[in-house]
Amino acid sequence: MTKLPCWLCLATGLGPFFSAGGAIAIPASSPLYTKWTNYTAANGFPPGKVYCVRVDGDRVWAGTGHGLVLIEHGQVKRVFTPADGLAGRAVMSIAVDPQTGDLWIGAFGGLSRYSGGQFKTYTNLSSGLANDLVYSVAVKNGEVWVATAAGVNRFDTRTESWSIFNEKNGPFEEPWSYSIAFGDGNVYMGVWGGGVIVYNPATRSWRPYTDPDGEMEIVLYRNQGLIHNIVSSVAYNESTGMFWASTYFGLSGYDGRNWHNYLTKDSGLASDFINAVQSRGDLVWACTDKGLSCLNYKSNVWTTYRRLGTDGRGEIEITGPEGHKSKTVTPSALAHSYTLNLDFQGDDVWVATGNGLSHGICQLTQ
Amino acid sequence: MRILIHLFVIAVLLATPGMSQSAPQELRYANMPPDAVPFREFRKPYQQWFLSPDTLAYYGAARLASDGDAAGLHTVDIGLLGPLDTNNPESLYGIAMLHGAQLAMEEANASGGYHGTPFALKVHDDLPLWGASAMEIVKMDFNEHVWAMLGSIDSSSTHIALRATLKLEIPIVDTGTSDPTVTETRIPWLLHNFPDDRQQGYALADYIFNQKKLRRVAILRSTDRYGRKGDEIFFTAARRLGRQPLLEAKFEPSERDFSSQLRLLESTGIDALVLWSNARQAALILKQMRDAGMKQPVFASSRVVYPELLGSAGSAAEGLVAVSPFDPTRTDAGWLAFRERFRTRFHAEPDAYASYAYDGMNILIAAIRSAGLNRGRIMDALRAHQMSAYQGVSGSVFFDYTLNNIAPLTMVEVRGGRFIYWPEHRTDWDKSASAALVPAPTHVQP
Repeated sequence: MTKLPCWLCLATGLGPFFSAGGAIAIPASSPLYTKWTNYTAANGFPPGKVYCVRVDGDRVWAGTGHGLVLIEHGQVKRVFTPADGLAGRAVMSIAVDPQTGDLWIGAFGGLSRYSGGQFKTYTNLSSGLANDLVYSVAVKNGEVWVATAAGVNRFDTRTESWSIFNEKNGPFEEPWSYSIAFGDGNVYMGVWGGGVIVYNPATRSWRPYTDPDGEMEIVLYRNQGLIHNIVSSVAYNESTGMFWASTYFGLSGYDGRNWHNYLTKDSGLASDFINAVQSRGDLVWACTDKGLSCLNYKSNVWTTYRRLGTDGRGEIEITGPEGHKSKTVTPSALAHSYTLNLDFQGDDVWVATGNGLSHGICQLTQ
Repeated sequence: MRILIHLFVIAVLLATPGMSQSAPQELRYANMPPDAVPFREFRKPYQQWFLSPDTLAYYGAARLASDGDAAGLHTVDIGLLGPLDTNNPESLYGIAMLHGAQLAMEEANASGGYHGTPFALKVHDDLPLWGASAMEIVKMDFNEHVWAMLGSIDSSSTHIALRATLKLEIPIVDTGTSDPTVTETRIPWLLHNFPDDRQQGYALADYIFNQKKLRRVAILRSTDRYGRKGDEIFFTAARRLGRQPLLEAKFEPSERDFSSQLRLLESTGIDALVLWSNARQAALILKQMRDAGMKQPVFASSRVVYPELLGSAGSAAEGLVAVSPFDPTRTDAGWLAFRERFRTRFHAEPDAYASYAYDGMNILIAAIRSAGLNRGRIMDALRAHQMSAYQGVSGSVFFDYTLNNIAPLTMVEVRGGRFIYWPEHRTDWDKSASAALVPAPTHVQP
């Protein structure tokens, strides 16, 4: 069997998407996920929220309110808890070191490293960790970057030395940090109330991007700059060189020259309240509180996935460049429309939701 | 229900004295004066937040969680986070907040608790060091399984708890911080009843510039977040009223000698001074100011309004005008009865922090009683207070779409060694239909 790209899923019975304005052309590079497998309390997965998900080859790691979950071959293989040495029960972020295979886990309770079957935990009292509320962790070139409630840490795994970045040595309005991403030699920091701060470790230089109108209650112009200073997540797209910032007040993208902002009122974005953003290729994924939205940046076509009611069915909504909308119902759906995080496994997508983990599966054809 | 609420608000606006001559205009966020609206003379914003019913809409799964079984519980636990260690200068407010919450809970238990199960407080100290209390709400969740939390006063700790509860989903009733940004996040897990710096800053700016017609004003404020956020609001409001403060001077929270700042202020030729400070430092500033021969009128934020100011500053405090979160000289039966019960229980006078905590705990207990032991539904019950009034011992409050209290404040002046109170009345309330939300109460204190 050959695994075909997801955009061919249209051939599996969905039919074309029509709206009042006519047929909406689905770009060739836009995947459609029509089949979902969910991991919830009903099939042995910890109940409730899933905060994050990270794919590591065939293994899928999920951070929940009940610990760190390992899924292999479609089965929950293990749930790690503080009793196993994990820093905290609520796991907010997971990163895989591409060089060593070590797992780094950010939790409400500190930072943990899972290596060789053993956890080692770093806390504010036992290490240079700025704060025990860890929201995001990312690893590159032996350096672990950690976003905490009291600043951003850099932990050098070779020297075991810690650095801290906050309002005392960087352009932070507040030290509350939410997200870390790498790109183009820079470290992108999503900062609560402080916008996006870009740090270049080579030159030790900073560049902050903040909401130019400076007001919490308004967006002055659509593409004014960063749409809001409360940034929940930041992502860098290596293909386009753009970085994207999610906020609870809409989505922002910056291409190095212009800003591209999106609200529900002017796009197919499911909600302005966005928990996380990811971007690869032409696509930008926004995990919102009302569904998972995907923007094809080149064609300006949006695809949103949400769950319908309680019978397990889902809805795909396509919004064309002119705003025409088309919907179709799918037999399976996300575990919940409140989405918090996602990661990719080939063409498949894994989504952390408010009530379980979801696996969006590409169709297999003979 | 929403339609009824909107009709009620419109009816209130139309019924407000002086409002009937013009049709109701659109609501302004935070009841801000027309002149303080950002970019008002430039353009209409592309997007305006916080003015729609879905501002705090919640679409998560918290309501799906199994309800707690009260029969299997010894107590129905509510967390409290506040500055309680007496080495912490903010414990003055924190202990008052604790006592207000305790009294409300004891009275609720005397009237049956939660279907016969008593409520219990799980008390956590809010340490003054940045982020040191960050894990307290996590402990409340995983160790104590609280159904909701009340607190805190320190704005940093409140923000950190707020961010954590976006993930953990624990309803928070905040009764003590004056930081306006805690309700400007769209995180749908917090109700806030204490008058914030926006309301305080707007009240002071209108009084100083529009009513007293003062022009050359400077700000002297503490370097902590309390001073910084309050200053931001007042400074911005003043600038938009066309009266940008001449100078902004600062002092450390531990500072006792303000001579250098006062010399600088005097050399600037100011007409008036605005203090964003606590009572202890305000008393020192006033004494040093008057000793130096400076006679300019002084205006201040609400934390200055404490008996300590009168005792420490003496005659130097005469003429000081400040904003107050409440009027303790009211004679309505609800306030007098509460004051008596509080005196009997704690042998002390209830201050604003105690009063708002008492009201906040009552709001929270009523929400738990009506919603049951389910955090999602408890927050739904709190969210039902959007665009409605609540009459408590602290006075009348009004919650906007962000669940923030935007009711008018109380002004206070030191005269003859006493605090003399009167209701705030901004000049724009005589001209505009949209600003004066002074509704009759829709909720009756249990």
